[in-house]
This record gives sequence, structure tokens and C-alpha cells, in this order.
Amino acid sequence: MQQLNPSEISEVIKKRIESLDVTSQAQNEGTVVSVSDGIVRIHGLADAMYGEMIEFEGGVFGLAMNLERDSVGAVVLGDYKGLAEGQTAKCTGRILEVPTGEALLGRVVDALGNPIDGKGPIETATSAPVERVAPGVIARQGVDQPLPTGYKAVDSMVPVGRGQRELIIGDRQTGKTAMAIDAIINQKNTGVKCIYVAVGQKQSSIANVVRKLEEHGALENTIIVAAGAADPAAMQFLAPYAGCAMGEYFLDRGEDALIVYDDLTKQAWAYRQISLLLKRPPGREAYPGDVFYLHSRLLERACRVNADYVKQVSGVEGKTGSLTALPIIETQGGDVSAFVPTNVISITDGQIFLETNLFNSGIRPAMNAGISVSRVGGAAQTKIIKKLGGGIRLALAQYRELAAFAQFASDLDEATRKQLEHGKAVTELMKQGQYAPMSTADMGLSIYAATEGHLEDVEVTKIQAFEAALLSYANSEYAELMAKINVKGDYNDEIAAGLKECIEKFKSTQTW
Amino acid sequence: MAELTTLARPYAKAVFAEASEKSALDAWSDDLATLSAFAADADMAKVLVHPSLTSEQQAQALTDVCGDKLNEAAKNLVAVLAENKRLALLPEIAALYEELKAQLQNTVDVVVTSAFEISDAQAEKLAAALKAKLQCDVRLTSEIDESLIGGAIIRAGDLVIDGSVTGKLSKLAEAMKS
Repeated sequence: MQQLNPSEISEVIKKRIESLDVTSQAQNEGTVVSVSDGIVRIHGLADAMYGEMIEFEGGVFGLAMNLERDSVGAVVLGDYKGLAEGQTAKCTGRILEVPTGEALLGRVVDALGNPIDGKGPIETATSAPVERVAPGVIARQGVDQPLPTGYKAVDSMVPVGRGQRELIIGDRQTGKTAMAIDAIINQKNTGVKCIYVAVGQKQSSIANVVRKLEEHGALENTIIVAAGAADPAAMQFLAPYAGCAMGEYFLDRGEDALIVYDDLTKQAWAYRQISLLLKRPPGREAYPGDVFYLHSRLLERACRVNADYVKQVSGVEGKTGSLTALPIIETQGGDVSAFVPTNVISITDGQIFLETNLFNSGIRPAMNAGISVSRVGGAAQTKIIKKLGGGIRLALAQYRELAAFAQFASDLDEATRKQLEHGKAVTELMKQGQYAPMSTADMGLSIYAATEGHLEDVEVTKIQAFEAALLSYANSEYAELMAKINVKGDYNDEIAAGLKECIEKFKSTQTW
Repeated sequence: MAELTTLARPYAKAVFAEASEKSALDAWSDDLATLSAFAADADMAKVLVHPSLTSEQQAQALTDVCGDKLNEAAKNLVAVLAENKRLALLPEIAALYEELKAQLQNTVDVVVTSAFEISDAQAEKLAAALKAKLQCDVRLTSEIDESLIGGAIIRAGDLVIDGSVTGKLSKLAEAMKS
């Protein structure tokens, strides 16, 4: 006997037949004139709207992107192999939407919100249009809450606040994705919902990210939107907008969300492909004229909104919402003056530069502290990190200057030598392993040790061992103090004294 | 196809303007129908795009075939088209001209495809209903397609109203699948 499908239960079939709307409706129809590389030209469809879904024969959908006098240019969302000249195409009257909601958390979906992780259908009650205009000035509020990434180097020198857009930029193999994934892992107990948008990546990399998030227990509050390298360019172009729409669901309900676009370079490539096939005129580097708008309208949607806006949109009272964006841009040979990198640098509220030579010399995260900046995050730092972190940036800046100068000098005076030693120690201390985000208290203690000169008698090669031993000692012996710092991130004389006592006691009783 | 329409539009507009000035809309309609019928003929189409013939020869060939059915103005149109090497556009020009004419007279061509022949009473009822919906006069032509099983599909330009049994069945099939 053939196996019975669960959808064939007569009750289910009855319901479906009952709910079917068989009234005939007037529809706009056209004829497919040409099909080329996912681009379809359609004659007719006089009533098509910009961005409207168009239905082809066989249930394939397209997106109207060029409305011309006698024809409509559409990109096919999905497989376009069955399409042929002369087939009919119908207007649907719907602007492209994706499902949104809590049910998507923990799932892997494609750019249209269909599950692709084999865990069954996703039951969501809400959906949102893929394209939306960003909240205006009245709806916005300043960025003043921290979004800790768990990286000492980032949180102390280029802090990220909730609602900020911080660009991660660097060559291939410099740890861009690793940094973003760690930031997601660090949100697992903070209530911040995460969305990871993979554009044009290898399926193996996407699978790897999913597995790592699962291993670290961060998948339950993460939505993964994947448009891999094998997916049509239209999907790669749409995926960031779809992910953003899913993030805005949380923003609108007064929650905090973090979205990672990995990476926007590939999205720009996909858009370039679509635009050239639609015969839009090419501009610099063959990108179309609106490639700046492509990214600016996407990144503008990441913001912090005030309680009035949240109340107006979703009825939730007294809560502000935020959507923090970590876009990633891959540069070629460190060239940040290429078209897309300069565009995104100018749109975002700061950037984290990752460099190949730092990465190869073992400084990981390979962040160049000199040119990495955060334009708004300073207001959102916790007190303790803000107070202590200033010294780190200064120490590293002085170290870089002196290190270049000291290459020519044979013997150096005591003060210079000391400063070089300190710089080396801080550089060493800023190194941090992957999948090991740190709590605020851990970070505070490490940075306190460096800025207050407690590392002076520690050998540079042993600094990491010293740090690890110190943190485990503090977390077991001074758990109360650490917990207190973690709660509010305050910094006062009492806490400073506690940290000092902890380090001194550790140094006198422990080994490393 | 879309590109051909774009190319044909200025010619159709010019002919339409000329025809309405001289109030010879129907005469031009006939001329264009004749011309496009000949131009669409397979042998004639070959002549019209043959590279070894001059444009004068092509124009001459077309007007000769049409014989004395054409008036002077239509012959001039053929000459202009030949000069610009656009003789192959004649069917598109005729179609666009008919569209413009229908717009002026506020009529629309409606094709009703049904599974069974529709009676005159039914056709009248349909025409009245469509007239109310589209707010213009309706010229009804009917076709029969037994594969529809029952009901009818109404086409008025880009607008399609699918009330056929086949359409409903395929809708049902889709709903069951999703």
C-alpha cells in the first residue's frame, strides 16, 4: 500500500476545500517575451506596480523591477528553467512580503522566508513587506545602551550601541565573520534577538555557522537568512532586505535585535548582475547608479526608536526598540577606496578594520585600533569600560608611534622603553580567542590590570596565561564583586579597590 | 515584441492623426488591415526583408500586390516605411492604430472563450455587465475551447477574468499543494 501523506487526512482536505476562494477575479495578464539569466521581459501587464510579485506558469514568482512603456522587466525568484517565451504572466497585486515573528527564531530560511533546514513548516501569523521606509527623525532616539560584542578590543575601543550600524571591513580571511558570530553568541543571555544574513556564501560556510551557533546555544534566538552562492542573484539581492524585515518585527515591538549582513559586497555584485541584465546603464566599476541607495536604504532601517513609536506601531507601552546592524564588507587587497567600501563606510556609524598582516602576526582579532572608529558607541559604553578603556586606546596609539620611531634608535631612555613595554603588553592582552566572548566584569578586570600597571612585572609571552588564571581566580574567589560589575557595569572607588585587592591577592598567592 | 511596439508607435500615431484630420478612420482601418495581411504573408515577409532589393522595389512589390485597394496616402505610408526599412512593422502599426481608434470611440475588444457556444441572450448580458465594469462600449467576439470544461474566460486587453472550471480546478490543486 502506498504511504499516506499527513496532508491527506480528510479533515485537512475538507478544511482546505472549504477555505478555497473560487470567485473569479479580474487579473492583469501579459506574455513572456524573453527569458535570460533570471531576467524576464513581459509584454503587457499594464497595471503592474514597482516591486509587485508576478506569477508565472508553474507557480514560479517574479519581482517587477523595470516598468517600461511596452514591457515589464522582472527578476525570477527561484528556478527559471521551466519558463519559456509565450507563456502567460499574471499580476498578483501583492508587494513582496516575508513571514515575520518569534517562530522564525532558531530556523534557517531562504530570502523569501521559506524554511530550508528540514525542521518542518514555520507557523507565523504576521508578515511584512521586504522594502520599508526607515523610521523618520520624530520616531528616533539616541543610542545610549551598550551592545557588548564580548571582544575586549571592540568593546573598549570601538564600542557598539543598540541601534548603531558598525561596519566590519577587511580582506578575505581576516576574521570578519568570526567577529560577527561571536557578537551573536554573546547575545544569548541578553534577550537580544539576532539575525544572520548570509549572502553569496558557500553552503558549507553557512552550515558551519549554523553548527557553531547551535554548539554555543545561540541558535534559539537567532534567525538565519541564507542566500548562498548557488542561489539566483535576485535572492542574494533580496536576502538583506528580508532579514531586515524580520528584525523590524522585534524593533516594532520594543525589543532589541542585532542583524549581521555577511556580506554586502556580494549583495552589490548580485545587484550589479541584475541591473546589467535589465539593461540599466552601468556606472563606476559597472555598478548601477543606485548602488549607494541600495545600501543606504537598507542600513537606515537599523536604528533605535522611541517609546512613542513602539506604542503607535505595536501598542507595546513604555519600551524603546532597536535594530543594530553589523554589515560586513570584504575588500580586495586592503583597498578601502573601492566604490562599495567607501559607500558603506560613509553610511555606517563607524567601522572596524581587520588587517591581514595583523592577523598573520597572530594578533586576533586583527583589528587596526588606529583607524577603527565608533562614532556613536561612546555614549552607550558601560561606565567601567568607558573609564578604563580610554587608557587602552591611548597606550596603543603611543605604542604605534614609538615603535615606528624606535626602529631607528639603538638605545632608548627609560621612559620610552617603559612605554614600548606597556604597549606590547596591551597589544598582547587585546588578543582573544574565537567563540570566547567575555563578560563586562572579565573585561573590566583585564583592562584594569593593564591600565593600572599590574602587567609591568608580567612577561609579555605570559600575559595571556596570566589573564586566564586571573579571571578564573576572580570568578571563583571574588564572584560577588564580578557579579556586581556585570549587573550594572558601574565603576567607583569601591569597585576599583575591590579589583585592586583581587589582582594583588592573585599575584601574591597564585602562579601563572 | 515589446521593442517592435515601441518602434511602431510613432507611425501608428501619425497615421491616426492623419486619419482623424481627414475623418477617414474606417478607410485607413481597411487599408492597414490589407497591408498588414499582405506583409504578414510568409513569401511577402521574405521580400520585405530581402537584402538584395532596394527599398523602392520592396515598396513597389507591396503596393502592386495590394493592387487598386490602396489610396494614395496609404501608398505614401508604404514608401515612408520602405525608406526607413520598417515595412515589417506593418502588423504592429495596424494593431496600434486599432487600439487608438478604439480609445477614441471608447470601445474595447473583448474575447470571450467558453467551453460551449454562448447564446445571443448570454452575449448581450455579458456585454452589458462588461460595459458597466469597464465603462466603455464593448465589442464582443466569442471563441470555443472545450478544454475549459465549463464557464468562460473573458479577455479585454491585459485584463483577464478567469471563470472557467479548469481555472478553478487548478486553483484548487494549488491550494491543496501549499
